[in-house]
Amino acid sequence: MSTTVLDVQARNRARIKVPHKKAIAIFVAPFATLFTLFYLIPIGYAVWQSMLVIEREGTYGEPREVFGGLSQYAQVMDSGPFWESVGRVLLFGVVQVPVMLGLALLFALLLDSPLVKGRRFFRLAFFAPYAVPGVIAAIMWGFLYSPNLSPFKPLTQEVGFLSADLVLWSMANVVTWVYVGYNMLIIYSSLLAIPTEIYEAARLDGASQARIAWAIKIPLVMPAIILTAIFSIIGTLQLLAEPQVFRTFTSAVSSTFTPNLLVYTTSSVPNVSLAAAYSVVLALATFILSFTFLKVTQRKAFQ
Amino acid sequence: MRITTRAVSVALLAPLALAACSSSDPGDGGEGGTTDAGACEPSDGAVELEFTSWIPGIEGVVDVWNEENPDIQVSVQTGPNGNGGTYQNFFNQLEAGNAPDLGQIEYDALPNFRVQDGLENIGVCEDVAAAQDQFVDWTWAQASLGEEGALYGVPQDTGPMAMFYRSDLFEENGIEVPTTWDEFATAAEQVRETGGYITNFSQADINQFAGFVWQANGSWFANDGEAWTVDLDSPESMEVAAYWDDLIERDLVSTYPGWTTEWDNAYNSGEVWSWNSAVWGANSIATGAPDTAGSWSVAPSPQWGEGEQSAGNWGGSTIAVLKGSEHLYEASQFALWLNTSEEALTMLNEEANLYPATTAGLELPVLSEGVEFYGDQAIYDVFAEASTQVSADFVWGPTMTQVYNDVSDGFAGAISGSGTLPEALTAAESSTVAALEAQAIPVAE
Repeated sequence: MSTTVLDVQARNRARIKVPHKKAIAIFVAPFATLFTLFYLIPIGYAVWQSMLVIEREGTYGEPREVFGGLSQYAQVMDSGPFWESVGRVLLFGVVQVPVMLGLALLFALLLDSPLVKGRRFFRLAFFAPYAVPGVIAAIMWGFLYSPNLSPFKPLTQEVGFLSADLVLWSMANVVTWVYVGYNMLIIYSSLLAIPTEIYEAARLDGASQARIAWAIKIPLVMPAIILTAIFSIIGTLQLLAEPQVFRTFTSAVSSTFTPNLLVYTTSSVPNVSLAAAYSVVLALATFILSFTFLKVTQRKAFQ
Repeated sequence: MRITTRAVSVALLAPLALAACSSSDPGDGGEGGTTDAGACEPSDGAVELEFTSWIPGIEGVVDVWNEENPDIQVSVQTGPNGNGGTYQNFFNQLEAGNAPDLGQIEYDALPNFRVQDGLENIGVCEDVAAAQDQFVDWTWAQASLGEEGALYGVPQDTGPMAMFYRSDLFEENGIEVPTTWDEFATAAEQVRETGGYITNFSQADINQFAGFVWQANGSWFANDGEAWTVDLDSPESMEVAAYWDDLIERDLVSTYPGWTTEWDNAYNSGEVWSWNSAVWGANSIATGAPDTAGSWSVAPSPQWGEGEQSAGNWGGSTIAVLKGSEHLYEASQFALWLNTSEEALTMLNEEANLYPATTAGLELPVLSEGVEFYGDQAIYDVFAEASTQVSADFVWGPTMTQVYNDVSDGFAGAISGSGTLPEALTAAESSTVAALEAQAIPVAE
């Protein structure tokens, strides 16, 4: 008896599915079209472009693009400036991302704690820098750091914020300033989603606010922290606006300072095939790094 | 788990979007590829031309043309200077097949555009070929890229170099205006004692440095038709580099990046006293350092040997017809008018201090007048003399954007304390050879 019912249900389900396929296709079509046009095709084009090399005869012969296999990739692997720039942003990320997320978490916990007054004001105040476009923020900080144009001249003339030794960390400060509030908001909204009964239970068990934060809030918002970490890792590898703007303030930022700046410089030569190869390698590196981070943290966070 | 997939797809999406943006292949010719003499014919009816330039006040000059030529209307678009972004735009537009008909291109960038097959040969137009006599010899040599009967841009202006200096400060402090580079180094020490800097060495202005090498009779490239010779580390080039390296090492020159607010401020505040620059630099000082009006003078560049008379050249442009333009005849007519007619040349000089590339242009009445910003000195007399002292043998390479980037990065390193200027040139020599080979451009051993 029961098997017959199941059979009928299964058959019904199978029959119902057929008309739905069309509807699904209609709903998916707009996304699929845009996804193909602006995502898959450009990626395919970039990968194809990265495999072309130029041939010509004579000093001013007409250039012809021919398939060159992976020869551009061999150049990428050999490129000193590329790996230096990757090393530079990794160093940047290892220091800046934990500092920024630590601050974001701290601010989120403070906003969420019952001890703080003026919660709405602080929420807005912390978030405001994110509303400043990245380029404008970099220009503003460039002026603040400048030894001659800064309003804090006595300080900036003593400390070379824009010198070769410090400029990377001056940029880290700009990035932190812009993104702390954004990350804070993601973590904070995840804190708001925690059911209040849990806190009540904790308080009945005699837990202090600090204990609640450490043992309940942080573990429960771990997924949000991991999400912000991944965004930050990607953002770090793609650093472009800050170094580009800082080039107008100091000699210490070379045209190959970050991987993206190197891609931009290479494409302006113009050597677009090599620039495409750099981009593909950078994209793969970003993917591997983000995915590894996710795999490592996932085991702890989602258990 | 939803976070996982979302984050991963973001991880994928973000960098590749950039990869897509940056991938446009250099012009491979296409249908509009070759030009033959027949292509330089007037079109039927009215023609509209697009023109991209970064010359201040160019709109006014174009308006004059448009009023006089209802059938050839030019719409002008202005952008950042060439290496500041306009060249990149041109390369992208050429790739996309929607480049403007006419573009401002400096002499040093012509080989780069030629090697990417981005220029029409306007030498096929009779009126253009007939105009050769009107131009200063070396400008025609640079714009024809050494090809007989060819021309890849109508020479517009030149940038003979001289020394702008704060005559008031030199006088007040009893420092003599240097006439040789040795004297310049001595004066640099004296200026430093007063707290200022004699000049600024801008690591990004590699074409200024090339001007110094040009003045020292050095050359960076040669093209014999079969292959290129790359000579960034020629003895003259290395000597000039060693000279500036010494001044930087001893903190006798400032090292602000050029064309920035910091740089303007250094001149405006009187911290930096002189600038070895081209004739068009007269405009840059006037706009960048308005508070110092009336305190500047112009003297011939310091010489490498006593009694020598040699000048470098920095910049100067041509008006080129970009590949794919369907109106070669009309475009070349406009380019000729813009760069040979007295009314256009006068306006270009008044608006932007452009210094004409025609021999007749050098005698424009406006060029013999005193200039208020320079204490009413007739500064163009100095540049007129310098322009006759510019060597015609300096050749630009086919990948100057890359050369400038690489030398500039090396110089920036030297300024921040790692390496020296000569070492930067040696490194750029090998990276330039590699860049040429990457574009399949033959390089002589």
